Amino acid sequence: MVGMVIERDSVGEEGDDVVTPGEFLGEATEFIAGKGAYVSPNGRSVRACLTGRRKVTAAPPGSHDNRSTIEIVGHKAHGAVPQPGSIVIARVTKVMARNASADIMCVDSKAVKEKFSGIIRQQDVRATEIDKVDMYQSFRPGDIVRALVLSLGDARAYYLSTAKNELGVVSAQSISGGTMVPISWTEMQCPLTGQIEQRKVAKVD
Amino acid sequence: MDVDTGNMTQTNLVDKVVVPGDVVLDLTKMENQTIKLGSGLRQDCDYISVMQAGKLRLSKPNKYWVESSQKRYVPRLEDTVLGIVVEHRSDNFLVDIKAPNLAFLPVLAFEGGTRRNIPKFETGTLIYARVVKANGIMNPELSCTDASGKAAEFGQLKNGYMFETSTGLARMLLSSPTCPVLEALGNKISFETAVGLNGRVWVNASSPDDVILVSNAIMRSEFLSGTQQRIMAEKLLERLQKS
Repeated sequence: MVGMVIERDSVGEEGDDVVTPGEFLGEATEFIAGKGAYVSPNGRSVRACLTGRRKVTAAPPGSHDNRSTIEIVGHKAHGAVPQPGSIVIARVTKVMARNASADIMCVDSKAVKEKFSGIIRQQDVRATEIDKVDMYQSFRPGDIVRALVLSLGDARAYYLSTAKNELGVVSAQSISGGTMVPISWTEMQCPLTGQIEQRKVAKVD
Repeated sequence: MDVDTGNMTQTNLVDKVVVPGDVVLDLTKMENQTIKLGSGLRQDCDYISVMQAGKLRLSKPNKYWVESSQKRYVPRLEDTVLGIVVEHRSDNFLVDIKAPNLAFLPVLAFEGGTRRNIPKFETGTLIYARVVKANGIMNPELSCTDASGKAAEFGQLKNGYMFETSTGLARMLLSSPTCPVLEALGNKISFETAVGLNGRVWVNASSPDDVILVSNAIMRSEFLSGTQQRIMAEKLLERLQKS
């Protein structure tokens, strides 16, 4: 394969051009392959293996190797991925009789780059009296919840849990459209109309 | 739209036709009163405004609601409806009740219902049931028992003829004292009806002629006054030489 002659970017800057997998990034003698790049089988060139923009970082001072590191940024594989045990922020999309679906938006305070689905089952909503849980009085579509990832779940969704004091609905809108204020661990009140609605409220410090 | 809220402690719109956006009550002018809002009304910060076109009604002392008639049905708790079975899942039947979602009828929600005697409803079976769970978000849930667990006329409706009406006509047929058209027909023909608040009516009589006569009379009676309904029913009965 013919290597293209590419102008070298200034160290530390991101290029504006998009590179695609297989594209030649630099000589292996001048660059170390970082995230999203690899050294070609003949050991002489560094090529991209993801789609994104190239980024060159200078070698840390005092290391043997003074080659810059070249890596690919802007690809969603670099975004946060929920792992069992991580705290996620999700928006409830559907509430059903036995579970509620939610779209995971942040993992451990880092935003995700692609959509992950989560499910909160009836028995994972709270820690006490789990068979008497009414899903409609715990969540509504559109609520923002803080949840814990229990497991990777099935092919469709992660399993989430709100069964702790600090987990549950963090922000919700009332029927009248106002952002509600929590008044207990089961109730939130609308500031516009004074109506009280039931939710599983998170204890936010 | 200019809103005249000068004297809104008592509304002068009761029993008049209202449209969405009309302001019914101004809460800043009313202190220490409890008002109960029924369907079609909502609280918009300091005003009570109308959500649905219809006639505003007041039940003394403080219950307001809007009466409207539509072809589609919004499920409400404790309504009795006529549903058509669409599918049989493992733990409930899926029933169409003219609502935005299909309703769930648990297979055990019958008098003396156990896992061993689950009724065998095929697709298309007509069911008379009661709504036990209806919020706007989840599928509504039905039951074929009354609150104490007895069958009480709920269940499958066999034979007869079912037709669809508006919700307003269904409510009129269920009003008490008895709706004039049903009374006039009942004097001469023996028949039975089941009225679903979701806009479905089922009629059964001993002969098909009677069934057709009763159904047509009901369908024509929606916009007639009491006397007009009686005259119309008499005319139909004469045609079949029943009077």
